[in-house]
Amino acid sequence: MSKSDWNSPEAARRIARRNASELRFKMIGLGAIVLSLSFLALLLVIMLKNGVAGLDWRFLSGSDSTEATVAGVWGATKGSLLTMGVTLLLSFPMGVLAAIYLEEFAPKKRWIEWIEVSINNLAAVPSIIFGLLGLAVFINTLGMPRSSPLVGGLTLALMTMPVIVISGRNAIKAVPPSIREAAYGIGASKVQTTFHHVLPLALPGILTGTIIGMARALGETAPLLMIGMRAFVATPPDGLTSPSSVLPMQIFLWSDEIDKAFVQNTSAAIIVLLVFLLAMNGIAIYLRNKFEVRW
Amino acid sequence: MTDTKLTARNVDVFYGQKKAINDVSIDIDNGIVTAFIGPSGCGKSTFLRTLNRMNDTIAGARVDGEILLDGENIYAASMDPVALRARVGMVFQKPNPFPKSIFENVAYGPRIHGLGSSKADMEQIVERALTKAGLWEEVKDRLTDAGTALSGGQQQRLCIARAIAVSPEVILMDEPCSALDPIATARIEELIDELKESFAIVIVTHSMQQAARVSQRTAFFHLGSLVEYGETDQIFTNPREVRTKDYITGRYG
Repeated sequence: MSKSDWNSPEAARRIARRNASELRFKMIGLGAIVLSLSFLALLLVIMLKNGVAGLDWRFLSGSDSTEATVAGVWGATKGSLLTMGVTLLLSFPMGVLAAIYLEEFAPKKRWIEWIEVSINNLAAVPSIIFGLLGLAVFINTLGMPRSSPLVGGLTLALMTMPVIVISGRNAIKAVPPSIREAAYGIGASKVQTTFHHVLPLALPGILTGTIIGMARALGETAPLLMIGMRAFVATPPDGLTSPSSVLPMQIFLWSDEIDKAFVQNTSAAIIVLLVFLLAMNGIAIYLRNKFEVRW
Repeated sequence: MTDTKLTARNVDVFYGQKKAINDVSIDIDNGIVTAFIGPSGCGKSTFLRTLNRMNDTIAGARVDGEILLDGENIYAASMDPVALRARVGMVFQKPNPFPKSIFENVAYGPRIHGLGSSKADMEQIVERALTKAGLWEEVKDRLTDAGTALSGGQQQRLCIARAIAVSPEVILMDEPCSALDPIATARIEELIDELKESFAIVIVTHSMQQAARVSQRTAFFHLGSLVEYGETDQIFTNPREVRTKDYITGRYG
């Protein structure tokens, strides 16, 4: 192509077309973000408008009641906290150990591939199925108390574990092989290499995945329906085995009430749940930034 | 004075079905630098990695034949690969310090092997290793800084310090200067020359000039076989094999 071609009207048109298409794409992308964010803003505005007046100490410290003005969210919040505690205690160590084993220790054999496929499928199983499983195994077979944070936590742990395994494996995979070689090269054993070098580097990614999995479990309603956590519970649970509700279930129950006064309660409970979710995501970001090692 | 440190007899290495090393026998002596040269893919790095069983960590790798360290078969069931790698240390192509402090980088090896129980012992081991690696003067005031914050050449000397901190008998170097600039390379080469007093050193290098500069013996590999092995002077001035001569005169590779 000779030099003058770049100055021809044809070339100018071509460049103008290209610039227009770049601009078009930027606009479409911006539009997509604005559209999705505006729904979030709309949700927040409506909830704040309806619920903020109901957010007082009595609401935050009370438990469910048939009387809208007396009903509070503490019982469900405490139930959620206990349930999440059980979920975290079980799914985090199990998920991390499974991820480490699969990534670092498992022989590359056929049966390992089967396990990998199963775990990926497990993460995609609809949550109501986990609820049925929890009902069949923990309540009907093992005789654990219905509606309890213990069973709720166990059921949600089954759901959360595959998420932690998958994010954990990705985080472990992202640790450069040169670090493993360096450790092997001075005579570190496989376990030493994994726990002294690979795991600390993978931890931010694992924690982020864990918190995102936990946030999902916190908002989960369907599996808890199956294990009876939708009962009317007027006192906060005093242990892992006493009947309890959880926040999303409380929202579901109140939204079903005919009494108009519960609209405010529903919105206020949604605000509480959203605050928890945002706090967990915030912690995830904080931990990732704090522990991330650059090299 | 030289004596044999490592002996390889009829070594074959397979990656799955593929034969990467074919019937290599070689003696590696104490107190000198032995260089492995050859074109890319000739198997020199693969063979180097059989000497401390680094290939064990690769799925599907298999080694036939015998490799003796002081007369002891390193592939025998009684040989623990972890203990072996403490005796036969390794420095890699790309500097790979741990993302920890300079002190921790050097102290990690001695600590896991239980060398030096007290804090003072450990500080002494770290200082000695860094001094030997020619890095002490540059880093003595900032031992708590991240090892990854050093320059490339310093990082590689840190990796050498890390390797010598566990008092190995042999140090394997897999193209240790290929990621470094000429000045950093010269420092590492000086260092290799000093270290050969204390360790048997085997270096894989792409650069024939480097092999000529630092080594006393040179082995030329081609297509997975050891073509020629001898005194470095003889290999570079009077090669016996046509393939060696073609390679060192730049006909291929």
